[in-house]
Order: sequence, then C-alpha cells, then structure tokens
Amino acid sequence: MAESPRSEIMARLRAAAGASASATTPEQIARELAALGFASAAVLPAADTCIAFMANVLANKGSVELAADRAEAVRVVGRYLYNRFRTHKLVAGNDPRIAAMPWRDAGVLPRFGAAENGDGAALSYARLGVAETGAVVTWTGRANPGRNNLLPEDHLVLINREDVVATLEDAWLRIRQELPAGSWPRGINFIAGPSSTADVEAQLVMGAHGPRRWHVILVGATPAEALAEAKVLTAATGP
Amino acid sequence: MKITSDHFLEHADAALADPDKAQRRDLLGLFMPLARDAAAARYGDFEALRVHLKQVRRHTMEHLEHYLTRFEEEALRNGNQVHFAATPEQLNSTVLSICQDHGARRVAKGKSMVTEETALNDHLQQAGLDVIETDLGEYIIQQAGETPSHIVGPALHKSLAEIRQLFLDRHDLGERPLEQVADIVAEARGILREQFLQAEVGIIGANALVAENGSTMLVTNEGNGDLCANLPPVLIVCTTLERILPRVEDAMALQRLLVRSATGQPQTSYTSFYSGPQRDDDVDGPLETHIILLDNKRTDILASDYSEILDCIRCGACLNHCPIYVGVGGHAYGWVYPGPMGSVLTPLLTSLEQSNDLPNACTSCGRCAEICPANIPLPDLLRDLRQEESQRQLNSPRWRRGLRVHAWFLRHPALYQRLSGWLMPVLAWLGKRRGSLRTLPFAAGWTGTRDFPAPEGGTFMRQYRKRGKVRRRRG
Ligand code: SF4
Repeated sequence: MAESPRSEIMARLRAAAGASASATTPEQIARELAALGFASAAVLPAADTCIAFMANVLANKGSVELAADRAEAVRVVGRYLYNRFRTHKLVAGNDPRIAAMPWRDAGVLPRFGAAENGDGAALSYARLGVAETGAVVTWTGRANPGRNNLLPEDHLVLINREDVVATLEDAWLRIRQELPAGSWPRGINFIAGPSSTADVEAQLVMGAHGPRRWHVILVGATPAEALAEAKVLTAATGP
Repeated sequence: MKITSDHFLEHADAALADPDKAQRRDLLGLFMPLARDAAAARYGDFEALRVHLKQVRRHTMEHLEHYLTRFEEEALRNGNQVHFAATPEQLNSTVLSICQDHGARRVAKGKSMVTEETALNDHLQQAGLDVIETDLGEYIIQQAGETPSHIVGPALHKSLAEIRQLFLDRHDLGERPLEQVADIVAEARGILREQFLQAEVGIIGANALVAENGSTMLVTNEGNGDLCANLPPVLIVCTTLERILPRVEDAMALQRLLVRSATGQPQTSYTSFYSGPQRDDDVDGPLETHIILLDNKRTDILASDYSEILDCIRCGACLNHCPIYVGVGGHAYGWVYPGPMGSVLTPLLTSLEQSNDLPNACTSCGRCAEICPANIPLPDLLRDLRQEESQRQLNSPRWRRGLRVHAWFLRHPALYQRLSGWLMPVLAWLGKRRGSLRTLPFAAGWTGTRDFPAPEGGTFMRQYRKRGKVRRRRG
C-alpha cells in the first residue's frame, strides 16, 4: 500500500531538519521560543490610549461618537439609525450587555439574534478595542453571531473605554484571560474598518461585500476634546 | 494553472508594446512603494519587527515537524478534519470528494494563491461544480477568463472601461450606466451576495496557521473570506505547511508586516482567527470544517539552499518595487507567482527547465531585498538559480560562451585592465559627438532599443588608482 500523504510529509520534514533538530525536546523548543519574546508594537499616534484608538479608527475610515454611559449610547444609536435609515430598526446578538440597555427610551426596538440579508444596521458590543491599529475585537457565539459583522449595510460597535488596550499583544493577553483553554470560540474577529476594496483602478470603495459604514461608539467618560484631538491627529497623519 | 514561463521574453515584448497597460503599471510602481514607505515610517522600528519575525520563522522552520504535529492535534481537538496533500492533485481530489460527499453544487471561494497553484477551479468545474471567486479582483479575472497579474491586486491590470464592458457582457441586468468604480463594486456586491447565501461549500486560504490553538488567520479588506467562512454549511481551508507559526502573537507580528508592506494600512478591515465548526454557543457558522495542508515541494525547498523563500508572506511588495515586474507586468511570468518572489518560486515549484528565463529577469538592483518584510535575500536566490542554470546548461549556448569569455578575462585582471584601458578611450572618441553610441559590436540586443552612453574618460580601476595615490599622499 502506498504511504499516506501525512507520513510521507512528516518523513520528509524529519529528513530536512536533520538529526539535531529531531533530538530537541518539546521543553527545549518551548524555552527557545520563549526566549524570542514578542515583537514591539507600532508607535501610537497619541500618548492617551483612547485618543490613539479613536484616531486610528478614523484613519481606518470608521466614524466615532462618544457616549458617557449606556443611556446616552442608546440615544446615540437611535439618532444614528434615524439619520441614516429613517427607521429605528436594529439587529443585535444576544449580548446581555445590549439586552440590559434602555432601548425603549430612544424608541429603538432591537431584534435579537443573527443578522439576515437585507438588514440595515447591526450592533455589536466589542470585547476589546486596540489603540495600535484602531480595531475592535468580537468573537462568535450567541452574543455576536459571525454574520452580524458582515451582512448589514452599517455595522455599529459599542466599546467601553476601559476595554481599549494599547497593543495587539495586550489584546491577546486579555483574550487569553477571558477565554480559558478549551473554551476558544469558533471565530475571533479583529475589525478595523468598513468592508472595502481597491481592486478596480486601485480606487478605494467602501461596502465591497459587507458593511459600507463602520460606526464606533466609545462608552464612558471621555471629554469631547479627546475626540476633537483624535480628528486633528488623523487629518495630520492620515494616509 | 498551465505554465507558459518559457515564453517570458515574448510575453515581455508584447507587454511593453501596450502603452496603456504600461502606464498603469508605472503608476502602481510609483504609488505602492510610497504607501509602504509611509506605513513603515509611521510604525516606528519596522526593522526590529522584521528581524523579530525572521527569528521566529527560523525557529519554526527548524522545528516544523513539532509545530505541524501540534497544529494538527489542536485543530482536531477543535473539531476540524485535517487532511495532508503531498501533491496538487491530492489537494484537488480531497476538495472534490468533500464537495461530493455533501452533494454540493455551488462553491464560494475566497482569495487563495495556493488553489491557483493547484488549478483547483478547473478540477471542480470539470466535475460539474459551480465555483465562484468572491474576491472582487479574482471575480473580475475569473469572468474574463484570465489569470492574476498580481498576488494582492489580481485585476489591477484591467481598466475601468474593460471591466465595465466585461460586466455588461456577463451580467444580464439590462440597461445601466455602470460608469463609476463604485457602480462596478455595487453590481459585483449584489451578485456575489447571492452566491454567499446559496453556496454549500466555502473555500478560503490562510495567512497563518497558529500551532498553539489550531486556528487559522485570515486577513482581508473586503470581508469576502469571512463570508465564505461564516455562511456556507461546509468550510474548507486550503493552505500549505510553511504558513505555521507557534503563537497568536507571532501571527499578529506577521500581520503587522504583511498589511503595511501590501497596502500601507496598520490593519486590514478584517483579521480573523477561525478555529473550527459551530460550537454549542453558536447560532451560525459552518457545521463541518476541513483543513488541507499541501506540501507541493515545500519539503524539498526546506531541505535545499533556497529554504528562505518559504518565509514569504505574500505581501506583493517585491512586485511593486521591481523594475522588471513594473516594466512587463505579472502575466509575462507565465505562472501563478510573478515578480522577484515568483522568479524564485516558479522554478522551484515547477522546474528550472520550464522557467529558466525567470531568474534572469533581474537587474540585481536589490530593491526587493531592501523592502521584503520577510528579509528574504531575493537577488541572492535568483543569482544561485542562474548559476544552477548555467551548470545544468539550461541557458542558451551563446550566453554560456559569453559568460565563459567574461569569466576568463575576470580571472586575468592585468589583461582585462589593459584591454578596457585601451577600449574606453576608443568608445569615448567614437561617441564624442552625440555623447552616446547607437550600435556596438556584439551588443545589438542592447543597442537595438536604446543608445549606449559613451564613456567619459578612463576606466574605474584607473581612476581608483589615481585617487588612491592622491589620498595616500595626503594621508
Ligand atoms: S518575497 Fe518578500 S516582498 Fe515579496 S511577496 Fe514575499 S514577503 Fe513580500
């Protein structure tokens, strides 16, 4: 019987590596790896993590609004939906944090569950924000089905101030803490902009397949000047 | 994909004769490097990042069997089915049998250079499946029946007018203007959205495989790969062994280098880590997931002197920075991978016999090595391939004769210097009036399309000696 592709490939790898590498124990390999450490992160556009985060979200062609607390976040979302769609329709995953918000106050009635084709706006509550790249992090599950990030016209994302970390390594540190081994979700998504393409004439167009707009709402006590400063930074250094 | 690299020179001639396309490439060669440089400068210590990832790659390659085994274990634990494929045929038949097991008819594909390498689409279509490319660039060239001209922007060689005509011909949608780039994107979005919703199988590639948790990293701006990974009930990830990295942080380091080198962004719109089929807590996602690990000569390359090319992260920067690629475009190279990385990979993945012009498509300017985020010494690898070519007598006999004469002179420096010392003043005198020469004996190939600048005065060695004397006297 012919060798299976797997054993064939493994045998070739062993031959390529030579005797010394094969003799190394897993513990030695782990030590070697640990000694290499992690990479250094990108320089942040501002010393304040939240300002840097907002500046990078804007540079990624997202839009940003501030909300002092969840009650204000509800009003911000309601206003956004009305301005964009002249409705208050919204879909959101079964995230207890979203469910507990006073939606009626702004006349918004979210449908809880997975987004469908044709939905105008979906709302996610991000687990983390990353200042280094201006990304928000979600993971799949009841609280945020994967398609909610992808199918709607507009993707609205709530993110708590205290969940904004400086670097991608910090983000993984938090993810490792929150998701103990064995409870890894199906998908972990870093989102850093609307769905975009530059495949035709190298011209950047939003809404390639997924959201045309990506709206990030920073929840917590952020002074309005911080957002103004982020806008200035983006205008100065933006691509 | 059928290889036509042995016609590189004819393809290159034809490409140069099309001024419109040449101008598009010039713009690409001008703006992409600017975007990359600005992003690298904004990063801070980009060089340290390159060095760090190189060390991690070396470590991973040294212990590839260990990490591959770990990845397999973790991926299985996550509920994936893991397949190994030694050859492109094995990958193609594995994909086909998965599709057939599910009675699938429609397949939605994310961008994957690996499946270009194995010509997967042809294989599936011959078996009667509908395969649709969902990356906009890939979709356009699939509709046009063409092949990618660039590994990041596969359709950048096509003008808006060409794409407009293509869509009018291919999409039965009646009268419509379709004049703006945004109209093209909107039309494709509508058509492809239906495909995502109807597909029974999604196929994606991977930018990295994470050994510690068996997940695959996918980096896109369009989100098409993510739709393929989230909507169809079956997901197949087609990838190769050397995409493995030990930790998620290493995949992030790769991502940092990749996107800045490819488009100048700090992060693409979507960077996703997929680990397997639906969990108890999931309300969407595939019910069944497969990962196919292709070798296709990677293990041979790993054991060879060309192993560093396996560090390539497919950013496309060496294409954008290469005077030959920008001059003649991706199609001239005649296979999946063009530019400097392609000129190294094509001979190794196909054969030097079929592609012996490619390692010569290099001016040794060194720009690619300067910017390659994976720190691959591309010009050195190309030179080694040229040497192999000469040793195996794959280049033309005339070429080899010329090289032998040249080598003989170089080994007799006194004679060489005497001869050139005599020749240069003659050439200078001949070209005195115009400052250049229109023809030269034995160099018609060179002077056929351009003038040879007339030498200004003595040879380099003569000047070197003169200045050396001056400096010595001063010192
Ligand atoms: S060889 Fe280097 S520059 Fe070229 S595509 Fe690969 S990683 Fe990018």
